[in-house]
Amino acid sequence: MTDAKKRLNSQEFAQTVAEEMIVSRSFWADARRRFFGHRLAVFSIFMLLALLLFAIFGHAFAQWSYEEIDWNLLGLIKTEGGPNWENGHYFGVDELGRDLFARVVQGSRTSLMVGFVAGPLAVLLGATLGALAGYFGGRLDQFIVGFYTIWISIPYIIFFVVWQAFFGRSLTQMIIVIILVNWTAGLLIVRGQVMMLKNREFVDAARMLGMSDFAIIFKHLAPNILWVIVIYTSIVIPEVIMAESLVSFLGVGIQEPNTSWGALISEGAKTMTFGTLWQLGYPAAFFVIAQVSLYYIGDGLRDALDPKDRR
Amino acid sequence: MFNYTLRRILTVVPTLLVLIIFSFYLMRLAPGGPFTSEKPLPPAVMQNVLERYGMDQPLYVQLWTYIKNIVFHFDFGPSFAQKDRTVNDVIAQGFPVTLTYGFWSAIFVLVLGIPLGIVAALRHNSFWDYTMTGLAIFSQIFPNFVLAPILVLLFTLSWGLLPGGGWNGGQWEYIVMPAIALGTSYMAGVARLTRGSLLEVLNAPFILTARSKGLPERTIIWRHALKPALLPTLTYMGPVFVYMITGSVFIDVFFSTGGIGQDFIDGAYSRDYAMLLGLAVLYSLLTFTLNLLLDLMYAWIDPKVRSNL
Repeated sequence: MTDAKKRLNSQEFAQTVAEEMIVSRSFWADARRRFFGHRLAVFSIFMLLALLLFAIFGHAFAQWSYEEIDWNLLGLIKTEGGPNWENGHYFGVDELGRDLFARVVQGSRTSLMVGFVAGPLAVLLGATLGALAGYFGGRLDQFIVGFYTIWISIPYIIFFVVWQAFFGRSLTQMIIVIILVNWTAGLLIVRGQVMMLKNREFVDAARMLGMSDFAIIFKHLAPNILWVIVIYTSIVIPEVIMAESLVSFLGVGIQEPNTSWGALISEGAKTMTFGTLWQLGYPAAFFVIAQVSLYYIGDGLRDALDPKDRR
Repeated sequence: MFNYTLRRILTVVPTLLVLIIFSFYLMRLAPGGPFTSEKPLPPAVMQNVLERYGMDQPLYVQLWTYIKNIVFHFDFGPSFAQKDRTVNDVIAQGFPVTLTYGFWSAIFVLVLGIPLGIVAALRHNSFWDYTMTGLAIFSQIFPNFVLAPILVLLFTLSWGLLPGGGWNGGQWEYIVMPAIALGTSYMAGVARLTRGSLLEVLNAPFILTARSKGLPERTIIWRHALKPALLPTLTYMGPVFVYMITGSVFIDVFFSTGGIGQDFIDGAYSRDYAMLLGLAVLYSLLTFTLNLLLDLMYAWIDPKVRSNL
């Protein structure tokens, strides 16, 4: 036997080929390949990672805390308060003389935290309810869909503002109300998918093996609708960040001295008449970078995962 | 059709009622009412104040009076914080303002959005098409609260062309920026949707038929393609109007137009629950009514929807 033949007959080679076949046929591997072929999406991942690192470790580089007032600059903000490396205010100071760099770090923390905690939780809640409605059908389905129909007709900003006025304006409160406002995302499509999948053979097989309904939903159906959940999460996260920022801009969002992108943009917009444009520019830039990155990541995920869009 | 209308109304009314009752109890039970101040009022005075606003009665009586007044007299009661104004005064003063720039904003969305979409579809994959698509993405990322400061920065602070806020009886200079800031993202949405559906229609067999008959391109587009292509746009305008109602809250606050949004937010700030609840009910009522009317309109326009009711 020649060497080449030996190699082809070896156990090792068979193993490699088998592994490769499994890998190349997997839906997620395919999706990963498609996603990494989307250059803007990959670039956006790096931008988002940079933002996350900035939010997590930014305070370590700030020379000032986000609550501290630099008394030296008070009254001189218009002329002296701009970005300056020498006194440690990399982004300048805000209208009260607080370090804008530290405040942008803090704002990024709040906004990203709200987005990445409330967004996925909201989608998971909606997906769970959708899956239950689709799987069990009947009364439960009617009830959930009916409730959904009524819920989406409530104007959400109005609900948001009223809720904030009643329950105070802490971060936890914000996350709860955002989940309440956004849980409807993805519910209907998950319900539809589950209704379609529950009649397939593998579900029958699982049922015949004596699995309970919940085990079937979470073990066998959930992996098959994961792609829907991923897509909807990627849509909801930027929306949630935007909603939080809007409400903070309106002045009923996060409470001082804590802050968020929306609150910072609002403060910057109020003072731009005085020519202190850095107070608007930096927060707005961070907000826009986050939105652009999240938009293209979502776009890439849709291209990679949605069977309808696949070319 | 009649049954459908009835069913819709029957779901709207309980929803509104539940919303009102829920918020009403919340606002009376929440700690710190509109009359709590750093220096507490003497009990006798407090008693008088509560009596003046009917708050000394049991909650369910207050609730009943509140709902009764809204339903039979369209009266939202007095404001707690602004002594000389009732919620109705605020609505009477602010609502026409909101409605005026909302109207112009809708015109802006349609008059700019539809032609942009048509041009992009007809010049598919050209410079115009890419510009339009870029604009659509751009306006999705720049929400009105980022766009509005930029507009003010350019038109007011740099070029001094337009006033940066206020209303002044609704002169056109004061309407331009609110209308643009409110409408831009929907304008882009309309353009994108029109482009998509026109592209789809242009590939349909009946357009091929029209082409083979030798009709001029202009006739094909104006007489045959546009009508079916604009149906999805029309459908999209419904949610747009609804979003505009809530979006106006921001516009009112940022441009100080004197619309109801400003009082709504002030109500949340000063815990003026009568104002907050009254305007929230008004906003919800508007949204529900609009949604209902739009759904009925689709059913009337589109036979496919009608047969599904």
